[in-house]
Amino acid sequence: MAVMQYREALNLAMTEEMERDDRVFLMGEEVAEYNGAYKVSQGMLDRFGDRRIIDTPISENGFAGIGIGAAMVGLRPIVEFMTFSFSYVAFDQLVNNAANMRYMSGGQFSVPIVFRGNSGIAGNLGATHSHRPEALYAHFPGLKVMMPSTPSDAKGMLKAAIRDDDPVIFIEHENLLGDKGEVSEDPDFVVPIGKADVKREGSDVTIITYSRSVITSLKAAEKLEEEGISAEVLDMRTIRPLDLDAILNSVTKTHRAIIVEENWPYCGIGAGVADRIYRAAFDELDAPIQRVTAKDAPLPYNRRLELDMLPSVERVVEAVNQVLYR
Amino acid sequence: MPIEVTMAKLSPTMESGQLVKWNVKVGDAVKEGDVLAEIQTDKAVMPMEAFDEGTVALLDVQEGDDVALGQRVLVMASKGEDPAQVAEKLKGGSASKAEAKKEAVPAGAGAGAGAQGASSAPDYGHSTDSNGQHAEAEPREPGGRVRSSPLARKIAASEGIDLGQVEGSGPNGRIVRRDVEEFLQHRGAAPSKGKEAAAAAPAPAMPVARGPVRETQRVPHTRMRKTIAARMLQAKQTAPEIHVTSDIRMDRIVALREQLNAQLSKQKIKLSVGDFVTKAVAMALRKHPDLNASYEEDAMVLHGDVNIGIAVALDGGLIVPVLPNADQLGLVEIRQGTLALAEAARTNTLNPKQMMGGTFTISNLGMYGVKQFDAILNMPEVGILAVGTTEARPVVENGQLVVGQVMTVTLTADHRAVDGATAAEFMRTLKAFLEEPAAMLL
Repeated sequence: MAVMQYREALNLAMTEEMERDDRVFLMGEEVAEYNGAYKVSQGMLDRFGDRRIIDTPISENGFAGIGIGAAMVGLRPIVEFMTFSFSYVAFDQLVNNAANMRYMSGGQFSVPIVFRGNSGIAGNLGATHSHRPEALYAHFPGLKVMMPSTPSDAKGMLKAAIRDDDPVIFIEHENLLGDKGEVSEDPDFVVPIGKADVKREGSDVTIITYSRSVITSLKAAEKLEEEGISAEVLDMRTIRPLDLDAILNSVTKTHRAIIVEENWPYCGIGAGVADRIYRAAFDELDAPIQRVTAKDAPLPYNRRLELDMLPSVERVVEAVNQVLYR
Repeated sequence: MPIEVTMAKLSPTMESGQLVKWNVKVGDAVKEGDVLAEIQTDKAVMPMEAFDEGTVALLDVQEGDDVALGQRVLVMASKGEDPAQVAEKLKGGSASKAEAKKEAVPAGAGAGAGAQGASSAPDYGHSTDSNGQHAEAEPREPGGRVRSSPLARKIAASEGIDLGQVEGSGPNGRIVRRDVEEFLQHRGAAPSKGKEAAAAAPAPAMPVARGPVRETQRVPHTRMRKTIAARMLQAKQTAPEIHVTSDIRMDRIVALREQLNAQLSKQKIKLSVGDFVTKAVAMALRKHPDLNASYEEDAMVLHGDVNIGIAVALDGGLIVPVLPNADQLGLVEIRQGTLALAEAARTNTLNPKQMMGGTFTISNLGMYGVKQFDAILNMPEVGILAVGTTEARPVVENGQLVVGQVMTVTLTADHRAVDGATAAEFMRTLKAFLEEPAAMLL
C-alpha cells in the first residue's frame, strides 16, 4: 500500500494496464506533451512514447470516433475528455456508435473503450463547466458508467474499466483529484464493475451516494453520530449497472433511505434508484425516500451561490432527520 | 438480575401463541416447573412452565393477547431483588417514553401551521384544515384510510394488529414502525379505541323484544378454529373423497363387552364399543396397508406402524391425539390409552408428541346417537372412519325378521390413493372382525 493522490492512482491504473497489455493507449487533448490538463497522465509520454500517448486537436467528435474505430479493430483505447462537458460534442459517437455497436452488429463488433475525464461541480467554473453527465450516459443501454470516490477505488475501478470489453464512461470528480488515500500497488488489484461499497456501517438510515457526495455523506454521518443516529453510507461506485442487491440489503436493514448526488433532481440518478427501491422493497420502508440533489437551476458562477446549490453536510443531516421524523 | 420469560415454541408449527390464562399474578413466588400461564398454540392449549425461581414482578401481556415467539411475557425478580423495584425500573422506562411521546404530539400540533409551514418537511396538504387550524394528528383520513408506512403495515399484518387502534407519531399522524412496536409492547394496557367506542355507543331503538334476547356476538377465531378451518378446506379442495358405508352386526361385540366388563369390574375398567372398533380397525389396517398410508405428491407413504388418531371434541374445537401401535395393544391398553388421551385433550395438557404421527383416524359420534355420517379426511392420511351408534334394529336373518345390534360405519378415503374396491375390501375385513371378534385372535 502507498499513500497517493486520486490523480496519481488514476495514472498508476493506466500505467499498469498499458504495461500489461500493449493494445492499450491513451489519447486526448494535452494528455502527452502537457502531461494532462489536470496532470493525470504525468510522465506517461516519456514512458510509453508518442505512439501510445497521443495528443489530439480540439476535435472531440473526431477523436472519440477514432477511438471507437480503433476499439472495433482490436485495440483498447482510453479517450480522455479534458472535462466531461466537452463530451457533448461527441455525443453521437458515444450514444449511437459506442453504445449500440455490439447490439447493431449482432455481436460481430465489440467496443472495448474507456471514455474518461473529470466532471462535477468544482468551484467557480460557471454553468458550462459544472456538468454532471452521469445521468445522461447512464440512460443509454450499452454504456457502463463508473464514478470513484476514493484514490483506492479510482485505481481499482479504472483498471476494471480498461479490462472491460464494452464502452465505459469513467467520470472522475475534479474536486477529488488531489485527495490522498491508501492505494494498493498490486497490479492485479481491481474493483469489479457493478459492485457497491459500504463506506460506513450504520443501522438507522441508509445514505446512498457516489463520487464526491460520498465525502459529504461521510461527514454528515459523523455529525449524525453525535446526535445518536447511526447512518450507513453506501457508495454506489458504478452508476450502471446498479448494485441493487447491496442497496436492498442496506435498506432492508435500516428501513429508511436518502439518496445524495450532485445531479439536478429531475431524472437524476436518485430518481432511478428510488424507483428500484420502491418496487423491490416497498414493505421494508418506514418513510418515503428523500433525495438530496443540486438545486434545479444552471450553476451560478458566484462562489456563495454555487455552494448554496450543492448538497451539503447540513442538507444531508436535514434529510436524514426528515426520514427519521425527528 | 431480573428474569425475563419469553414466548416459547410449544408446537412445531407455532409462530405465535395466545395467552389464554395467567396462573400467576404480580407478587407470586414461583418455583421451577410451576405453570405460569396457559398458551393456546395452533394445535392446543399448552402450559407454560417456569424454568427459574423468583417472584413475579411484571406481567407484560394480558389474557387474550396474541404473543409472537420470543416476545417477553413476564418478568420475575430473582432471589434478593425487590419485585416492586424491578417493576418500577421496567415500567419507568416505558412510561416516561410513552409520556414523552404523548407530550410531543400536541406540542407539535400546538405550534400550529406556522411551524409546519416553516419546516421543509414534505407537506401533503393535510396539515391544516379549512379553518387554518392545525389538524389533529389523526391517522384516519376522511375515506377511512389509515395513514401508515409500508413497514408498519407489514408488521401490523404479521402481528394481527388493527392499525386503527394505533396512534401514529409520523408526519400527519402517519403510523410508523416505532408506533406499532410500542403498541405491541403495551397492548392490553388500556382499553382500545374500538372497545371504548363500542361501550359508549347508545343502544339502538328497536321494537321491544318479547323475551330475553341474546345479543349478536362477533367472536374472533381461535387459533384452533383457524387451523381446523384451513385443514378441512384443504382436504375438501384437494382430495377427491370416496365414501364407503357398511352396516355391521354388533351382537357378538355387545355380548363380549358385557362378559369382559363383568370380569374387569374389579379393576374398575369399563370397555366401550369404541375400544373394540379401535382394535378392529387397527387389525384391519395391518391387513390393508394401502389404507394405513399418506398421500404425497410423488409417492405413497405406507406406514410401518399403525397409529390410530382418535378425534376428541373440545369446547370450541376438536383435536386428534394419537394412540401409537394400536394393533399391538390389548383392549384394556386401548381403553386406558384412549381415556388418558381424551383427558389430556380436554384439560389442554397434550404434549406435541401425543398429537403427531397418526396414520389413520377414527371419528366416533355414536355416543350422541348419530346413526351415520361422513368424516372429512385428516390429511395427509388417506382414510378416516366415521362411526355411528350401535343400536337395536330390525334385520333380516335367514329370511326372518329379527332384532339385531347394528352399527353403521362410513370410510372416507382419498380416491387419489385408494380405489373403491380397496376401500370395500378393508370394510369387509373390518366387518368380519367385528361380527366375529374371535377372528382377531387368529
